[in-house]
Amino acid sequence: MVIITFRLSEIGRIEIPLTGTEKWETVVQRCAAHAGVALGGILAVRRGTLLRGADLIEDGDEIDVFPALSGG
Amino acid sequence: MFTMLRINTATGATKTETFSTKEYLLGGRTLSSRLVGREVPATCDPLGRHNKLFFCTGALAGTAVSSSDRLSIGGKSPLTGGIKESNAGGIVGVRMARQGLRCIALEDAPASDAGWKIIVIGKDKTELVDGEFLAGVGVYEKSEMLTGRFGKKAGCMTIGPTAEKLLLATGIACSDPHGVCSRYAGRGGLGAVMASKKIIAMVILDDGEVKPEFIDQDVFKAGAKNIVNLLKANPVSTKFTKYGTAAMVDICQALKVLPTRNFRHGVMDGAEKINAQTMYDTIKARGGEGQTQHACMNPCAIQCSNVYPDKDGKLLCSPIEYETMALMGSNLCLQDLDAIAVMNRIANDAGVDTLDVGAAIGVAMEAGLAEFGDTAAAVRLMEEVRNLTPLGRILASGCKIAAKVLGVRHAPHVLGQAIPAYEPRGTKGMAMTYLSSPMGADHTFGFTLRDEEVPTSKEGKVGLSKKFQVIGSRMDAMGMCNFVRYSVQNDMKPLLGLIQSLHGVEIGEVEFDDFVKETLRIEHQFNLDAGITAKDYRFCETFYEEAQPETGEKMDITDEESLLARQW
Repeated sequence: MVIITFRLSEIGRIEIPLTGTEKWETVVQRCAAHAGVALGGILAVRRGTLLRGADLIEDGDEIDVFPALSGG
Repeated sequence: MFTMLRINTATGATKTETFSTKEYLLGGRTLSSRLVGREVPATCDPLGRHNKLFFCTGALAGTAVSSSDRLSIGGKSPLTGGIKESNAGGIVGVRMARQGLRCIALEDAPASDAGWKIIVIGKDKTELVDGEFLAGVGVYEKSEMLTGRFGKKAGCMTIGPTAEKLLLATGIACSDPHGVCSRYAGRGGLGAVMASKKIIAMVILDDGEVKPEFIDQDVFKAGAKNIVNLLKANPVSTKFTKYGTAAMVDICQALKVLPTRNFRHGVMDGAEKINAQTMYDTIKARGGEGQTQHACMNPCAIQCSNVYPDKDGKLLCSPIEYETMALMGSNLCLQDLDAIAVMNRIANDAGVDTLDVGAAIGVAMEAGLAEFGDTAAAVRLMEEVRNLTPLGRILASGCKIAAKVLGVRHAPHVLGQAIPAYEPRGTKGMAMTYLSSPMGADHTFGFTLRDEEVPTSKEGKVGLSKKFQVIGSRMDAMGMCNFVRYSVQNDMKPLLGLIQSLHGVEIGEVEFDDFVKETLRIEHQFNLDAGITAKDYRFCETFYEEAQPETGEKMDITDEESLLARQW
């Protein structure tokens, strides 16, 4: 199980079961399908490090997802 | 044809000129930086008579296109010693457009003991009237006095008491849609430049009658609607409307680049107490005059601004932006949104840049003048700024000066301008941008953070920064709000199509980007001519010697690498 928390989002916390390791780009698509929303630009952070699409997600990972905004 | 109004602040003489070139058509930073490069001697005293101030509207100013009335102000910066473009929202841009003005130039300067003047621009005349009654008064009271005399719909620009004293971290406050001068062209000390010309306010009356003359109005209307539709189609834009720039608190905390304890750290315990959700919930709970979504100009489909109320629901400060929440919040280890709002309001009233003064207070805390996390002490230091005490004047001169006077080596600035709210050792892309901006450390110019695969690595960051320097400068180049990027993203065709249907002039995407790059070349040349060299585009040495604890990173960008990022 991977726990994904969508910060500043109505989606909130999602738990996704994993079968082995999966690429982040696959996991995030499953999240969007699960929530039934278009995510748009996002930033995903695992243990203080940005996730790239090809990064492998493992059982037990906790990931924070933020909308890709900017300061002003 | 586009009109420039020149005002000699020493003699009161005025002169209008008209132009039809593309630089005048685009307006914004394209125009203001070219005029500074052409007309201001690079080695002049920024507070002397040879400096000029240019106020420029953009290509779509005065139309119904969302967020198109940004005002670009250019001159030589007393803070950095180089070129400066600082821009603001508000209603001044649309008032200038109604008067048929693309640019107002303030030239020359009277003797320093001359009285304060207000420039009043209407459809029938431009005049300099007595402004002594505004001297020494805070910006909020100045706003009330100006609207009382010239009407709430007048577009006013004024300066605070700190600028009147020629302090370096002072800005120019512009009217918001409610008639309050709260929208700041805050960076670079342009408030002091305006004060050096003894102009305490400039008012654009609401009697202008000039309306856009469209080449193809139907096409234009459809194009304007398309900008809004594109914005709505971007899922992220709704988050931006709801939370504004404050959303960056959580993002930067997660990436360990939230400025904390005078830029010593990138993470603050308790950051959730000052994050976007807390601000949103607080505004909602207090109700009253509070607004989680607010437009700094009309029309604006983004509405990322806010109105933060006090406990009784009365307006305390509008807006509170992420950069202020970081520099006056986490950087001082403050976990109290109310305190940040109070400090922001004092800064607005005193007429100082929240970033530079927030960074200066961080330096003062490191010097031992107050404890990090001491809310009452932080507010007290801001009151020293407002009261123009000797310490307050030092803080209002920015963090570089404050660090020199107070004996602090770890001074967070580039070219004398405080580092914005992204700790540079943890994001080498933003660090590269800070080191390559002709304006001193600047975040809107080359915002790489969202696109850095490995933020702590400098690999590939010259190219990434340069890519976003162009993208980030496009909106400035034509006087649009930077956040219109959430609508058009990287495709300039919708905006260039609007220019064509309004002005009948075709500017292709390549040609437009050539204007953007040429502007950067002009700005860097000005700095070179002013005597700014590669050794000035550095962080202070401590950033290179001491690792940021959370990432373990030191600054490792070389002069050669940052030079590459400045070459166009």
